[in-house]
Amino acid sequence: MNFKKTIVGAVVASMTAGSAMAADIALVIGSNQDAFWNVVKKGAEDAAVLVEARGGSLTILQTQGYENYGPDLAVLIEQATAQGVDGIATVLPVPEAQLPAIKAAIDAGIKVTLLNGGSDALEESGALNYFGSEEYTAGYEGGKYLTMAGAKNILCHNQTPGTANLDARCRGVVDGATEAGANARELPLPANLDQDVAGTSAAIEAELNGDPSIDAVITLATWAADAAYGAIDSLGKTDTVKLGTFDLSPSTLDRIKAGTQAMAIDQTPYYQGFLSVSTLAANIDFGTKIATAPVLTGPAIVDASNIDATFAGVEAGTR
Amino acid sequence: MSDTIQIAKNSKPKASRLSVGELMRSPAMGAFVGMVLVFCIFAAFGFHKNFLSLAGIANWMNFASMIGIVAIPVGFLMIAGELDISVGAIMPASAMTLGILCGPYELPLGLGMLITFAMAAGIGWINGILVTRTQVPSFIVTLATLFAVGGLTLTLSVIFVNRPQVAYEAPELAKALLGDRYFGFRASVFWWILLSAALYFVLHKSPWGNWIFAVGGDAESARNAGIPVNRLKISLFVLSALCTAFAGMLQVAAFNSAQSATNFPLIFNTIIACVVGGVLLTGGFGTLIGIFFGTMTLGVVQQGIGYTDIDRNLSQLIIGVMLLAAVLMNGTFQKLATSWSTSKKED
Repeated sequence: MNFKKTIVGAVVASMTAGSAMAADIALVIGSNQDAFWNVVKKGAEDAAVLVEARGGSLTILQTQGYENYGPDLAVLIEQATAQGVDGIATVLPVPEAQLPAIKAAIDAGIKVTLLNGGSDALEESGALNYFGSEEYTAGYEGGKYLTMAGAKNILCHNQTPGTANLDARCRGVVDGATEAGANARELPLPANLDQDVAGTSAAIEAELNGDPSIDAVITLATWAADAAYGAIDSLGKTDTVKLGTFDLSPSTLDRIKAGTQAMAIDQTPYYQGFLSVSTLAANIDFGTKIATAPVLTGPAIVDASNIDATFAGVEAGTR
Repeated sequence: MSDTIQIAKNSKPKASRLSVGELMRSPAMGAFVGMVLVFCIFAAFGFHKNFLSLAGIANWMNFASMIGIVAIPVGFLMIAGELDISVGAIMPASAMTLGILCGPYELPLGLGMLITFAMAAGIGWINGILVTRTQVPSFIVTLATLFAVGGLTLTLSVIFVNRPQVAYEAPELAKALLGDRYFGFRASVFWWILLSAALYFVLHKSPWGNWIFAVGGDAESARNAGIPVNRLKISLFVLSALCTAFAGMLQVAAFNSAQSATNFPLIFNTIIACVVGGVLLTGGFGTLIGIFFGTMTLGVVQQGIGYTDIDRNLSQLIIGVMLLAAVLMNGTFQKLATSWSTSKKED
């Protein structure tokens, strides 16, 4: 009799202790060759503190690169499903390639949140929510900002033409600038110059040399901003050519502080990682949901007027 | 006695004719002609956008110099029959090491550079030891090192500075020597030319150069002839790593920042520069001047498109076609060089 009681008691105890709050979450994002995802990871790891305190876990799955982005992400989502996770937080830059894998995960009872890309496909995906900015809107605001700041001929550098989110950004820049009354065009560079600071700098310099009427350059990544600054600086045009970029980095913020860069567009990657993981865990554990969907974490423009607040975050790698 | 003096005097005109002919037949001539060909094409298409100006030339020379500094020791290894693809990871590793040590950790620049060089030499040494002590081909060994060093760079960067990038502004003198521009040409161009001249003497005028060619031709025969094959290969891997580290430092000085992303394009670009410059992928053949012109050709082709009105989406197509044209030109000259027989005239 006592023995039976002990067994039953042990079984009940293990069931309640084990399964009550234990959200095992997978975060599926882009390559760690791209410094941007490091900030997203910082946010996710901060959320993981809560997740792990409640007995769960966070697994981070990253693609090798962007060359085969859609299919690679689909494979990672399937990997997470096979691992038997409770929730997947994923980017959705290529819906056609990824939606089947996401649907399969949801059919297996896994909850999904989206981050960084794919806000248009939120409803179709069946995900709980989307945390990120809208690329086109961010580009639009960037183009508008530079035009209001006095630019008349804007160049938008695209380091991997054909990537949907980057193309949308430059489209936004062109539209935002045009509607505010300036000229703007995209500069698509061959993908073999991606991440090549010296090569990109030389290419942008060639464009500036060839068309002296260009008075603003906007880049879609911070390493490209370094390259563009190198080009603008060597031509001695830091006073005449405005520089803007997507995302933040220590060198970008130093330049904004020093006045050699006009602005940076912040999509707050920290929140993308933090919110996508924490809301997913809360939904798995407690069934809560945020009423607004999608949740826009950007665009927020960082310029000389609000630069000082960002430095602490930059030191910690969270901005 | 007087007869021999007469013959010696008579042979002078022949000697000068032979030397021009020799120049035309030298393998480097193919690389030179290839470069002139692509240069002329882009000069024609890009004339209205100042391709032919000093700034235009400096533009692609700056780009070429960053590849050139790494391409030469990579070319040496190719001549010796090995490949080094770990350069793609050594460059960001060195840039990040220098940036982190001298930026947030505020070490003096000289000390930072020494530590960075030592680290790179260590990686090169590991490459060399693994290639010479195991039967694993150098492509695989350096591929492994590429990924290992790349992963370490990323992890250590995040541990030390919380992100995989770092900002660093070098002091005045260092900037003047390593990063600034003179008449539009970056300091890296001058270092590239200096390095090329120094390594020209090593490859073509010193016993080490002979050893490199011998080892590339037939390593066993070279070993039997008394050449220290293993030590030579290890030194070449160390040289490759050191030059790559230097290129990384120049980049930090010029752009005030470093990224830890592995520079995969650098691997392709250096091999392309060597092959376009006449170095055989199978080893045993190549010239330093050829590598130099091959790098210039790559620079012109990569950057020249920016000066034309051609749709930028066609860029990669044009790069492919131009490189093929340059290599075909090169091949023609190499055939001439190896098959030309001088006519022997009897006096």
